[in-house]
This record gives sequence, C-alpha cells and structure tokens, in this order.
Amino acid sequence: MAFVLPKSELRRVIDELSKDYRVFRPVAKGSEFVFDEEGEPAMDYDTTILPPKKAFLPPEETMFTFKRETFHVEEVTDEKPVAVVGIHPCDLRALHLLDKVFTGEFVDPYYMRRRQSGFVVAINCVKPCEHGFCTSFDAGPGAKEGYDLLLTDLGDKYLVEVGSDRGKSFVDRLGLDSASSADVEKAKELVEEAARSMARRIDTHGLVELLRMRIEHQHWAELEARCLSCGLCNVVCPTCYCYNVVDKLDLGLNEGARIRTWDSCLLLEFAEVALGGNFRRERSARIRQRILHKLLHFVDQYGEFGCVGCGRCVKYCIKKIDPVEIVEVLRGGA
Amino acid sequence: MAKPKVAIFKFASCGGCQLQLLNIEDKLLDIIGAIDIVYFPMGKSENLEGPYDVGLVEGAITCAEEIERIKKVRASCRILVALGACACYGGIQSSRNWMPQRELEPKVYEHWEALSSTKCFGIDEYVPVDLHLHGCPVDREELLEVIKGLLMGTRAYLRPHSVCMECKLRENECLFLKGIPCMGPVARAGCGAVCPSNGAPCSACRGPANDANVESFVESLKEMGIPDEQIARMFRRDASTAKPFAKVVSMYG
Ligand code: SF4
Ligand code: SF4
Ligand code: SF4
Repeated sequence: MAFVLPKSELRRVIDELSKDYRVFRPVAKGSEFVFDEEGEPAMDYDTTILPPKKAFLPPEETMFTFKRETFHVEEVTDEKPVAVVGIHPCDLRALHLLDKVFTGEFVDPYYMRRRQSGFVVAINCVKPCEHGFCTSFDAGPGAKEGYDLLLTDLGDKYLVEVGSDRGKSFVDRLGLDSASSADVEKAKELVEEAARSMARRIDTHGLVELLRMRIEHQHWAELEARCLSCGLCNVVCPTCYCYNVVDKLDLGLNEGARIRTWDSCLLLEFAEVALGGNFRRERSARIRQRILHKLLHFVDQYGEFGCVGCGRCVKYCIKKIDPVEIVEVLRGGA
Repeated sequence: MAKPKVAIFKFASCGGCQLQLLNIEDKLLDIIGAIDIVYFPMGKSENLEGPYDVGLVEGAITCAEEIERIKKVRASCRILVALGACACYGGIQSSRNWMPQRELEPKVYEHWEALSSTKCFGIDEYVPVDLHLHGCPVDREELLEVIKGLLMGTRAYLRPHSVCMECKLRENECLFLKGIPCMGPVARAGCGAVCPSNGAPCSACRGPANDANVESFVESLKEMGIPDEQIARMFRRDASTAKPFAKVVSMYG
C-alpha cells in the first residue's frame, strides 16, 4: 500500500499529528541537526546529535514524586503521546533493539507506554551519511519494519508506505493519492543505489566467535591511551540504554522526585559500588565494555547485534575512536 | 536534632562564591529554618565563635597567616567544605605559582618587600577537607544539593565526569570539532556545560574530571595547531595545582 505526499504538504502532516502528539522532527541547529518539538523540519538531514530515542527515553525524566513523611508515591505520566517524524532506518532499528531491552523480560512502564502510544514516521536514506555503516547490520539505508509510515524522497514528493493500521487511518485522514508503480520502483532503486554507495562497513561474518577470542588484546590498551573517557559516545548512541537514578528533595526536605538520567559506561564512576570498589577502573575495560556489549554481549543476550551503524559515536568523538576501525584491528588488519 | 551551626569563611578570593550563597537567599530562607548561619561576616553583622557543625570555606591560602587560620578553622568545624575553585585548587591566583615571586611581586605592588606570600594553594594542601564544591563560581544548584545532603546525612550527587557529557546532553554543536580549543573533555562537570552552551569554550574552572586523560587531550590540541605556550596557559588558568593539570603546565610552560 503506497501513497504520495507532495513535499509542500509535509507541514500538514506535522500539524495534523500535533493535534494528538508531541511531534519530534529533525531541525537545523547551526551546522548540525537535532530532534526537536518545534521548528521547520529538515528532512534531508544527515544525522542528529542526540538520537530520536530521546522521544521515548528522555535524557532526564521524573519517574515519580514522593513524600517522605507519609510514604506517599505518585507516578508521573506524560500528558500527550509522542510522534517522531523523519526517523532514519538505523535509528528505527535501534528502537527495535531498545524494545527488546525495555519491553521484554523486564518491562519498563515509562518506555513501554510511550512506545505503545507513539507514532513513527520513518524516512529512507537516499544519500549515505559520512560516518554510517548501517548495511553491516541490515539497519539501513532502507527501513524494513517498525514504522507506521515510511517516506522516501522522490525529489518533489515523498513516497509514503504504510506499516500499520494506525498509519493507514492517518493516511486516510490526510486523503493522500495512491502512488504509481513507477514511484514505488523509483524509491526502491534510490535506496538500492544508496546501499551500494555506502563506503563503510563492519564485516560481521564470524564476528561473534572472533570477538570472544579478542577479550584480551593489546588494542584495548592502545585505546586506553587514546580515549578521553568523556562519555560522549554513549550519550549520542541510539542503542545505549543505561541510566542513573537520583532522588531530588525539595527545600523542605519532605517532598521529592526520583529522576533518571542517561548514564555512560565510559565514565570512571559507572561501575563503582559501595566503599569505592570499581569493576571497571581501567579505561581499557570500559571502552572494551562499550564495543563488546554492542557486538558480542548483546548478541548473546538478545540474538542480534546491538549496534546499528549510525556512525554518531565516531562522528562526535574528538579522538575519532571508530567501531569499524576497532573491528578491523581486532581482525588483524583484514 | 538541633539545628546545625554553619559558618562561612573567606580567604584569598573575590567573594563570588559567597555571593552565590546570597543569590540563593530566597531558597535559603526555606532551609534557614533548618540551619543556623552563625558566622558569615560578608552577610551579617553578628557573628558567633565556634565550634561549628559545618564550615564553608571560600578562597585560597596564600600566606603564612592564612595557613595558621585555616588550621584553626578546620579545628572548629565538624564538616569542612571547600567552596569554589580557589578553595579547591587555588583558583585563578594560583597561576602565579608558575612565575618567580621576586619577578612577579614588584610588577604588582609598590612595597613588595613588605609581603610574605607563600605559593597559592587550595585549602586541602594544609587541612583535610570533607567535601569539594567546584566551580568559579560554585553552581547554585550544586550548592543547594550539598546543603540538603548535609542536612539529610546523605552524599549529594555531584557530577565528577567530563563537561562533554553535559554538553552533549544539551545538544550543543561541539566547539572542539569546529577547531576551537575547549577544555570540556578533561574538565569536571556539574555546571551544566554553561560556557559551551553559550558559545564559549570551557576553561576547566572546576578542575580536572575524575578520569581526565590529559596526555591524549594535549595531543589533540597540538594536532589542532595550538602552540605549547597557549596549552600551558589553558591548564594554568583556574586549577593549575591539580596534579593532572600541573603536569601539563610544567611540560609546556
Ligand atoms: S567519545 Fe571518544 S574519547 Fe569520548 S569516551 Fe567515547 S571513545 Fe572515548
Ligand atoms: S555504537 Fe556508534 S555506530 Fe553503533 S549504534 Fe552506537 S553510536 Fe551508532
Ligand atoms: S564543546 Fe567542549 S564541552 Fe562540548 S562536547 Fe565539545 S569539547 Fe566537549
């Protein structure tokens, strides 16, 4: 089922969604892009600083408020569900991975509620971004599933593919024209062309077995010397899900809020426990944790790679520490 | 529990951190019921002798008289808090440690013969400190968290990691990647990345982050083409007595 949307009508999509949702869309910020609830959508963005997971797992959120004296606890819930317009296939796949973490064996009600009530408009990449390597994990440049609507840029219009009942009724509400088979074909070709021109790739063949044998390797020590342990790579990653929890009391010291914020396994204090014990005091152990969690442990736990090849970690890293390069070194320069 | 008695002391400093205390007075009034500020020469005229439950110390130690005084202050306080960059690391005036005193003093003072300055240090060069509250000036939110923590007998969460982390959470364009030398990767957070968020590079006024990799960071500064002399100046500015920073200053200064 496919439709077409003239580019001039994108605004209408956002306005229509805004009636029911808080609509995150990519907008320009200087020479970068960010997902924001306001501003003109910049649908041909390359990547965003923070991933759109922030709509479903905010960098900081109040989980509940409490009163110490009476032990009264009140859960905090959103007033409006969230919609994301313009999510790239890699970030979409990242949501699928987060679903495994937060809605699988252990359910995170905050994330779960937002996902279940959320609306997702994805957009295929017809131009590979500079740092991405999504084809390594079958995470792009075309989206396969997990969207309500999927757009492909056809020049003056978007092809609109429908991925859910919710998506279908929204298209009906907009009253879009059906797409021709030529439109559908052209979109397919554009995405295939983008896939062919992706310059970067991790060879995943036998990777899990290889990494199991590279847990001790001198490259981790080399990365120890290079990495700044600034934690920025975790913050920009669409599949990182660790968070810290702090209680914040008001000035009367009776009422307070339990707040969670994104955390980072590259930080020294991340694996610190009571009395100052620390499971990953060495920086090399921390950078190894980040890389092996994505490419080995996630596979062990969930049966899929935990990286989607969005390229943000290397793009924003001052030391240009790059999963593609790390895997090449661990493979022995292959 | 009786109200904790709080004292606020000043050593070599500009008074800016104490001003932060006065700036949160409206909020402080809410807690004031819970604490007794009994010694605060900058804020009130009636000041009581110790002992005190909590002492907040602003300022660096720069002469023999101050060394004696900080020891007495320490002895009079059950919990001692270093308030701001000067009390933590000697602050901006500690950049003078890197020049010979006999050259420096005549440039500033007419009667320099009368001076008896020592090298400039944070207070924990001389006395044990229970809690460091970083920043030039200290952050009001952190200050409030610390006061609340002291009252609750809990340890306030003060971010010990890099400024980059907070900077990225605010989705700033990275200055460093644009070729502007920003100290964020090696600087201690807690300020909410206030400088980069306003377009100014971080100057590391809060000292080094807990796992600052200064060697690797300096390498990047050199690749960027920053001259040695400027590198030394960057690390000398606010916290040059902190070991990781001192190492860079002595290598490049
Ligand atoms: S962004 Fe780069 S330097 Fe910073 S912690 Fe990650 S890998 Fe290390
Ligand atoms: S590890 Fe890097 S490339 Fe992979 S998903 Fe995270 S940020 Fe993207
Ligand atoms: S602007 Fe400075 S603090 Fe922000 S990410 Fe870049 S280097 Fe870090």
